[in-house]
Amino acid sequence: MSTASEKLRASAAEALACGRVSLVLGWRKKDFWWQSPVAFVEAAAEAEQLSFDPFSVYNPVKYLLEATECHEKVGVFVKGCDSRGINRLLQDKRLEREQVLIFGLPCSGKADPAKIRAVFPAQKIREVAQEGEELLVRLTDGQERVAAADFLLEKCLTCRHPNPVVFDELLWEPVPVRAGVDVSRFARVNSVAQKEILERYTYWARQFDRCIRCFACRNTCPACNCRSCIFDQAEPRWLGKASDLADTMNYQIIRAFHVAGRCFECGECERICPAGIPLQEMNRRLIMDIDKYFGPYEAGLDAGDSPPLGTYRGEDPAGFDES
Amino acid sequence: MPVTREGFEPLIVAFCCNWCSYAGADLAGTSRQPYPSNVRVIRVPCSGRVNPSFIIRAFQRGADGVLVAGCHPGDCHYHSGNYHARRRFTILKQLLEYLGIEPERFQVRWISGSEGAKFSAVMNELTENVRKLGQNRKLRDAR
Repeated sequence: MSTASEKLRASAAEALACGRVSLVLGWRKKDFWWQSPVAFVEAAAEAEQLSFDPFSVYNPVKYLLEATECHEKVGVFVKGCDSRGINRLLQDKRLEREQVLIFGLPCSGKADPAKIRAVFPAQKIREVAQEGEELLVRLTDGQERVAAADFLLEKCLTCRHPNPVVFDELLWEPVPVRAGVDVSRFARVNSVAQKEILERYTYWARQFDRCIRCFACRNTCPACNCRSCIFDQAEPRWLGKASDLADTMNYQIIRAFHVAGRCFECGECERICPAGIPLQEMNRRLIMDIDKYFGPYEAGLDAGDSPPLGTYRGEDPAGFDES
Repeated sequence: MPVTREGFEPLIVAFCCNWCSYAGADLAGTSRQPYPSNVRVIRVPCSGRVNPSFIIRAFQRGADGVLVAGCHPGDCHYHSGNYHARRRFTILKQLLEYLGIEPERFQVRWISGSEGAKFSAVMNELTENVRKLGQNRKLRDAR
């Protein structure tokens, strides 16, 4: 078992045993090799189930909203992206800093099960473990070592903050930022923006047409933390119930717009989308425009500042005809 | 119902701020400055009151063009409503263009209470631009 998992277990067990927290959020291993869902540990003896492996990718931060309602103080393990989610909740006043004990986990990226399946026969894989810079793939007939960097998730390839930006304890040494992330960050946005206007519409219509409105993108997003969401409201009913492209586009546009200036690019919306809609291409477009018009801004780095669409300057430029 | 380009009359929804642009519309009326009857004016307390959902909803329910009109920056009755609106709609306009909505269909303008002529000019220009584009089928309800 990897030493990373052991460190998680030790930290969680210690914090629970001495009563600093009454709940710890981490990850555990489930039935299949690619499954590492969020674990809820309430006793030191249960800390054994915690694991930190190449698939511990879910952001546990969103669960803090409910966890802090029945627990005075909650321990949470966060990677770089997750930690910005904590700043998001702090900035939105949905969480007090004293309510959480944050264990920081510098993270050099998580593995994409699809990329692993593309190389190894899916039915033969038994376990995939991280060993330094390598992935150790245990198969039914032997094992193989591959470079972890070749199997990273799309969202990890453009990660600018692999180290937690807010934490109480750091479990191991910080890791370096991958080279070239700034170049590739907006590459997909630019390739869509270069299309002709009708081509852009058909591109997006085709993407949104697949949306089943499961709202997974909203539910996983730490920026989507309103107590009641307009898409759930019956009166006024902003969003029709029918399977209609116009309603889907309404949902997608407004969802992206509601997180504009607050999205911190964790990319979870896109990763968990069952229809494979490239949501980051919309979120990043909004980030691009905010950077362009109102100055560079990165959400989730400082819980003390105010998001760009919540403030203004008299000399702001306008993206429309001001004459 | 198919609409030929010749017989097409665009539907324009204009969200006008109560304190400036709506007064501008009044002035256009009292000073006999004509503007097309295609425009449906919706009075809102402030351009900052206009929720981006209103705009998407207007397109969904059959608008061919949407205008948001407010006080000039610095003149907001509520001090900062139009500054917030300026940031919001700068971003929204870029996003709609990125998603393939023609930029002419969604416009934001500052029209003060003394600019009746400007109100009428903006409405004429917007209506003509949208008329050239034809009926909006994007974002529209199938129902």
